[in-house]
Amino acid sequence: MIRVKDISQKNDRTLSILWTDNKVQNLDVVKLRLKCPCAGCIDEWTHKPILKPEQIPESVRPVSIESVGSYAMKIAFNDGHSTGIYTYQMLRSLN
Amino acid sequence: MSIFESVMEKFKGAPKSVAVSEQQINAALSVIIDPDLNKDIVSLGFVRNIEITGTSVSLEINLTTPACPVKETFREKAEKALLEIPGIEKAVIEMTATTRSTKPDTDTRAPALRGVKNIIAVASGKGGVGKSTTAVNLAFALRQTGAKVGLLDADVYGPSIPKMIKIDTKASVAEGNIIVPPESDGIKLISVGMFNDGDKAAILRGPMAAGLIKQFLTQVAWGDLDYLIIDYPPGTGDIQLTLSQTAPITGAVIVTTPQEVSLLDVRKAISMFKTLKVPVLGVIETMSYFICDGCDKKHYLFNQGGGERLVREFGVPLLAGIPVDPMVSKGGDEGKPHVRDYPDSITAKSYKEAAGAVAQQIAILSSNDDGGLSSFSLTWKN
Repeated sequence: MIRVKDISQKNDRTLSILWTDNKVQNLDVVKLRLKCPCAGCIDEWTHKPILKPEQIPESVRPVSIESVGSYAMKIAFNDGHSTGIYTYQMLRSLN
Repeated sequence: MSIFESVMEKFKGAPKSVAVSEQQINAALSVIIDPDLNKDIVSLGFVRNIEITGTSVSLEINLTTPACPVKETFREKAEKALLEIPGIEKAVIEMTATTRSTKPDTDTRAPALRGVKNIIAVASGKGGVGKSTTAVNLAFALRQTGAKVGLLDADVYGPSIPKMIKIDTKASVAEGNIIVPPESDGIKLISVGMFNDGDKAAILRGPMAAGLIKQFLTQVAWGDLDYLIIDYPPGTGDIQLTLSQTAPITGAVIVTTPQEVSLLDVRKAISMFKTLKVPVLGVIETMSYFICDGCDKKHYLFNQGGGERLVREFGVPLLAGIPVDPMVSKGGDEGKPHVRDYPDSITAKSYKEAAGAVAQQIAILSSNDDGGLSSFSLTWKN
């Protein structure tokens, strides 16, 4: 079971995660906002994206990032969107 | 080479009158292997406070859980090994335990849960399998070993714990809207049933129920606990999700009966915990068999080996099989936990076996600590 060993802000728009298998992942926070998996951004049944990329400004940034249980994290963004629960599994699949 | 020979080897030529050293004690005890952690008890740091006075030695063996099932075996082995050291005639061994937490200290958990070392979810795929009875008896069995135990009845729609356990003290509210849980035999208890009339149904929408559960986890003065047992509502829904999202659950125990239909739902429960990344500690099979008053033979009422099939399918251990025992449900109806009132019955012994196995699985988990954070929070800087 892979979990987060350390999590930090690398620079203005990069989130850095050190996983328990010692893999380091650097994630672009704007891309994370675009990939939001919540039901408002991705249709629950068809899995088709509802969120239009042009709605998201390049200036979007997280406000806070918090763990959810032992399987995911919740990211609150400065555009007021905070319903996305990013599972570790999903994050690991991002490049 | 036997323990005796190996010790003798080290002492070849040494006169008997020379005082025994601490190293010799450690060497003698290092042959005792913890079967779960696959290491000897000396390198695990279990052996403490060695004191040698002439020909007698006293020491402490500090285990990872007071519910350790091999406690007595360790004591016997240690005593034997010590008495085989030339020059030792008396060995006094004190067995103690410090439950290790699977959680690092630097966490952002709700303050109410910070003193809680391990949180155990007791869940089932469907209702009526004896989940609450199991949760209650597990709590009492762990308590009997000396552990500090709390029990949270999260079955908002059908709270049964207040009926199953007679409460000694009343719940009260302390400063800052913190609920002080009532206790029974030193076990801290919280249940929805304490806050409404026993006969009235709790009619709550999902979000209300979820809010209530969140409060039970974050606004109850749980204090220092070795184990907080959460009696999950049956099924795989809203509340199960809230529970697993609010608190870092150490592991889940799945309760099932041996029938195939029950196993079907267990698969769902196991898959839910897998999704939520909560390790499944194992399965407890209730209504496993029946022992009649005429003989000691185990009569299997349902299919035999359902639990074992699960073990094969999912690779989770079968923690124990609990027999059908009318005394257990009678005790439940009268607010008398079976394990407490009939500690020597076959059923009580099977619950104790289950509790020992749960503690053992948790000890294994915490020894495999991979440095993962149980919780974190990060504020973005612009």
